[in-house]
Amino acid sequence: MAHVGNLKEKPVITGVGCTKFGSVLETPEIKGLAFQELACEAAFEAMDEAGVDPKDIDAFYIGSMVSHISHLYSHNTQMADWLGLHLKPGVHFATACATTNTGLGLAAMDVASGKYRNVLVLGCEILSSTATDDPTKRKALDPSQLWYWTDFGVDQAYAYHHSYDIATAYGGLPTLGYAKKHKVPMEKMDEAMFNVHKNVRLHGSKNKKAFVTTTLQQEAKKAGFKDAWGFWQSRKNPYLAWPTRVKSALNTVDGASAMVVSSKKEAKKNFKKDPIEVAGFHWSSSNYPWYGADPTYWEIDDTAFKAAMKMAKIKAKDVGYLDVHDCMQIYQLIESEICGYFKKGEAWKAFIEGRTTYKGDKPMNTSGGRHAKGHAFAASAGAEIYEAVKQMRGEAKGRQIKDEPEVSMVHNHGYGMHSAVTVLKR
Amino acid sequence: MMERMIEKFYKSLAKGKIYGTKCKKCKEFTFPPKAGCKKCGAHKMEWKTISGDGTLHFFSSGNLPPMKFAKYHPYAYGAVELKEGPVFFTQIEGVDVSNVEAIEEQNMQMPMPVKAKVKKMAGMNIVVFKVVKSQAKKKSKRKSKK
Repeated sequence: MAHVGNLKEKPVITGVGCTKFGSVLETPEIKGLAFQELACEAAFEAMDEAGVDPKDIDAFYIGSMVSHISHLYSHNTQMADWLGLHLKPGVHFATACATTNTGLGLAAMDVASGKYRNVLVLGCEILSSTATDDPTKRKALDPSQLWYWTDFGVDQAYAYHHSYDIATAYGGLPTLGYAKKHKVPMEKMDEAMFNVHKNVRLHGSKNKKAFVTTTLQQEAKKAGFKDAWGFWQSRKNPYLAWPTRVKSALNTVDGASAMVVSSKKEAKKNFKKDPIEVAGFHWSSSNYPWYGADPTYWEIDDTAFKAAMKMAKIKAKDVGYLDVHDCMQIYQLIESEICGYFKKGEAWKAFIEGRTTYKGDKPMNTSGGRHAKGHAFAASAGAEIYEAVKQMRGEAKGRQIKDEPEVSMVHNHGYGMHSAVTVLKR
Repeated sequence: MMERMIEKFYKSLAKGKIYGTKCKKCKEFTFPPKAGCKKCGAHKMEWKTISGDGTLHFFSSGNLPPMKFAKYHPYAYGAVELKEGPVFFTQIEGVDVSNVEAIEEQNMQMPMPVKAKVKKMAGMNIVVFKVVKSQAKKKSKRKSKK
């Protein structure tokens, strides 16, 4: 068990912000926005909601992963005046796709130490296109180039040069491993993944900030299929790496997310709603490979979940809403079992029975996850914290969990691999 | 000065030697070589060649190969547990990835014995594993009798 320290006083989230996820080249709500502008949109929403003026923000973290695309580093220096935080202490940081989950913990420690009263955590990523030598123009990005840069996150001494295959390592083998370990016939496993995806799309269809807002059934009908299952098994949904199909994987998008973390004293002063407590968090790091002979057991996640829950003084049965990293949707099964939200070998049945939708008794990933909501690397974890906060406050219009969760847990993978888990309480 | 471990590993492959490292403190084996022990964290490691024997647990073939390996696509990529302990992911020879039915059928026969070999790919020597045919066939026959 990892060392688990605690904070003398738990800070709270007072404000959250998130842009529409999509493409700055095409999506009307964010079309034409530059990195600076996209980041400001999320940050201003979070600060407005927290009821704090930029002068009350004592420090800020800004996360962004792929500098080759943004043509930025030292983002904090370039963003300080844009954010109204001129001369404030800022840090650019990244833990890849877990960045803004990790940032929440960093901010919580800053506030709990007494050094700062209110800290802004901001994540922004543009993946549709690269910056050019003209700041008003962007160039569409070839996906193979994006993945070349993304794979810089994977063991560059050895693994990458030994034919590293992300689709097989991160999708295919864990899915196959799950089926074999729990003796789920492959056809049934495909049906389970179909149901995971139906949930993903259901939730995306009810989230105006999601990238994909159609249900799977609507897409199937439009493509000329009588039913979604036939569409799922068709050539329209080929294997990315057997047994993982294309629709079980992420969609890369552009977007930004933000949150304001405050002391309870500050929250009482400025904030009109019930603040959400940052009750526990933990991170764990591992070089490749991320799992051994059993692809369903990830020691880094087990470590992070256990330590975050211990810090928050909760058990898995206390969690009313769970959000797990789903760049590959198989992790909705694997991670929900690692943390104990479901018993081992039971998650696949729960998805088929519809228990994980926003209407179910075990709700998960209600924003639409990294396929429907979309995946904007450093901004995605913040968007998932945003969703948890909205659910806990009863503000998740159209996809609200019936009984607002008292406890939520958000898990993220940062390629490759950082595991970040945060427990929130209201 | 730190030893140039990565360079030693790759240069040794050209001579047919496949090195890992063994922790002098807890005896844990690490592959490929690293400066620290994954189990106990100690920094005193010694070089040891691997036996080359391993067990293939799973494999598949992805449609998103890295740029560097795109010209070899489709290829089998799998998880091999070395006799010495570590699990290593690399290219697998001796399995059929031409269609998903074949991939499924072979995966249902796992685990399967494999042997390490050095192969020149994308301009450098790397370690791949090849299915040990005779033992794989015996295993397949045993399965089919059941």
